[in-house]
Amino acid sequence: MTGNIDVSATSVLSQNTFARAYRRYGLSGVVAAVLAVGFLLAPLIPGQFWIYVATEILILGLFAMSFNMLHGYMGQISFGHAAFFGLGAYATGLLMRFFRPSGGEIGYLEFFLSLLAAPPVAAMGALVISIFCVRLTGIYFAILTLAFGELLYYIVFSWYSFTKGDDGVQGLLPPPFFQDPVNFYYFTFAVVLAAMFLMWRILESPFGYTLRTLRDNQRRAAFLGINVRLHMSAHFVIAGAFAGIAGALWGPFQRSIAPGLLGWQESGIAVFMALIGGSKFFIGPMVGSTVYTFLQAFVTIYTVYWPLTIGLVIMMIVLFAPGGILGLVEDLLKRIGKAGAAATKQGDTANQDRTAP
Amino acid sequence: MVLFLLSAGLSLIFGVMNILNFAHATFWLLAGYITVTIYNYLLGYFEPGFYLLIPAVVAATAIMIIVGLVVERFLIRRMYNRDLAEQLLLTFALVLILGDVIKLIWGVENRHIFVPVTPVEAFGAFINPYYFFLIGAGLAVAIGLWLFLHRTKYGKIVRAAVYSREMVSALGIRIPLIYAGVFAAGIGIAAFAAGIFSPLLPMALGVDIDLIIQCFAVVVIGGFGSILGTFVASLLVGIVYSFSILLWPDGAVAVIFLIVIAVLVWRPWGLFGTELRS
Repeated sequence: MTGNIDVSATSVLSQNTFARAYRRYGLSGVVAAVLAVGFLLAPLIPGQFWIYVATEILILGLFAMSFNMLHGYMGQISFGHAAFFGLGAYATGLLMRFFRPSGGEIGYLEFFLSLLAAPPVAAMGALVISIFCVRLTGIYFAILTLAFGELLYYIVFSWYSFTKGDDGVQGLLPPPFFQDPVNFYYFTFAVVLAAMFLMWRILESPFGYTLRTLRDNQRRAAFLGINVRLHMSAHFVIAGAFAGIAGALWGPFQRSIAPGLLGWQESGIAVFMALIGGSKFFIGPMVGSTVYTFLQAFVTIYTVYWPLTIGLVIMMIVLFAPGGILGLVEDLLKRIGKAGAAATKQGDTANQDRTAP
Repeated sequence: MVLFLLSAGLSLIFGVMNILNFAHATFWLLAGYITVTIYNYLLGYFEPGFYLLIPAVVAATAIMIIVGLVVERFLIRRMYNRDLAEQLLLTFALVLILGDVIKLIWGVENRHIFVPVTPVEAFGAFINPYYFFLIGAGLAVAIGLWLFLHRTKYGKIVRAAVYSREMVSALGIRIPLIYAGVFAAGIGIAAFAAGIFSPLLPMALGVDIDLIIQCFAVVVIGGFGSILGTFVASLLVGIVYSFSILLWPDGAVAVIFLIVIAVLVWRPWGLFGTELRS
C-alpha cells in the first residue's frame, strides 16, 4: 500500500525534505503533511463561506476515509456506508434535542456527551449489519449494504414521532464557543486529525495487514487460520464508528439533520471521494473530499448543473485515471524517477550511490 | 408492470454482462421524455389519440436502442475488466449526467417540472381499457423474452453467456456483440416501458432515483438473469407493497428491503436464480 515506495521515484528528489518524507511515509505522508498545513492556514482565506467549505471538506473527508477503510483495505464496497454517518448524526442530534427539547444552544457538557454518543451508536448499528454482510463479498456485499442502508433510511424517514421524519431535526445550536465558524472549524480539524491518527494506527497494525490479506486473497487467508468473518465484522464495526464520528460533527455544523444523510446517494458521495482521490492511498479520500467539495462550492456559484459537472469528472477519472488523483501523481513521480535514473546511468558513476539508496 | 419491464432489462444486463447498471431507470426516464416530446410534436399535425402513441413509442425505443449501443460501445465496453467500484461509479456518473441533460433539455427553471402527457379527452372513458393493454403488453414482453431466451438459438447463446462467458467465447461466439446486443435490448425494453406508461405516469426529475432502488430489490429477490424470477419478484414486490401500505403506511418500502435482506442472506442468488455464478 502506501508503504511501498518506488526506489527510482525518489532518486531525483533525494536531496530535499519532501523526498525524505516520501521515502519514509510514502506519498500519503507527504500529501497529508501538505494538507494539514493547508487546513491549518485555511481560515486565513477571507470570507466565512470558505471556512464552511473547509469544515465540510474535513467532515466528509473523514466519512470518505472511513468508507475507504472497507474499500481500500478490505476490498469490499459498502454502498450503505452513509447509514453509519446518518446514525451518528442522529445520535448526536437527537441527544442535543433531548437536552434542549425546544432547540437552541446547549451547555458544553451536554454538547460533548452528545458528540460522544455518536460513535458507539454507529458502531452498534454496524455490528448488527455486519453479522449479515460479512457472509457475502463483491457485488452481493455492495447490494446487501445498500439494502440495509435504505432500510435504515426508510425507518428514520417514517418514524416521525422519534426522528421527526423528513422534517429532519432543526436548531442544533452548539455552545457559544463553537458557534463561531473559525472555532468550530479548528475543533473539527482537531477531531478529524485525531480520528485519522487512530485510523492510521489501526490500519498499520497487524490487524490492518490481516485485512490486506483478506482483500488480496480471502481463501488463502482462511487457509492460514484467519477467522475471515470475525476480522471483516470487526473492521466493519470500526469503520462504522469512524463514520459515526464524522456524522456527529455534521449536525452541529449544519445546525440541522435530515434522513437524506442515510440514503444511498450520500453513500455514493463517499465512493466518489475515495475514487477521485485514489482509494489505494490512506489520504486519498481526503484529497478526493477536498477536490469534490471545493469544486462543488465553486461550480454551484455559477451553475445549477453540478451533477452534470461531477458526473463528467467521475467519468473522466474512471476512464483515464483509475488510480485517482494520487495515482496520477504517483505515476508522474515514477516517470520522473525513471527519467532521472536513466540520466544518472548515462552520466558519471559518481552519482550511482544516489540511484540505489 | 413498469417495475417488471425495467427489472427484466436490468436483470438481463447484470446476468450476462456482470454490470450493475445504476443508470437503467435514468435511461427509462430519458425515453419517457423523448416519447412525450415526439407525441406532443405529432399533436401539431394529427388528432390526439391512442394511435399517435404508437409511432412515439416506436421512435423513442429506436432512439434509445441507438443510445444504448453508443453508451455500450464507448463507455461500458471499457469497464468489463475493471474493478466493481469503477463499474458502479461509471453507471452512477451516468445517472447524474443524464439527469442533468434531461434538466437542460426539458426543464431548466423548475427541478420538478411535470410534463402533461396526454390530455384526458384523448382517452376519456378508455382509461380503464388502457390498463388492460398495459398488463397485456407487459405479459407479451415477458413471454416474448422467455421464448427468445429458451427457444431461439440466440437466446440460448445469451443464457450460456450467463453461466460461462469464457466457454461461450471459446466456442467462437463473439462476446462483445452479445454484450452490445443485450445492453441495447435492456435499454430498449426500458424505453418501451417508458413509452407505454407515459400516459399514466408523469415524467419527473428524480423519479429514476427511487425507481432504480426498487428495481434492484426486484432483481435481487428474483435472481440475476432469470426472467421468470424477475416476473414473480415484481409481482411479489408490488403486492407486498400494496398490502403493507394498508397495514403500515410509512414502512411499506422498509418491508421490501427486509425481504431483500432476507433473500440475500438466505439465497444470495435469488429465489429463481442459480448458484453457479455466485
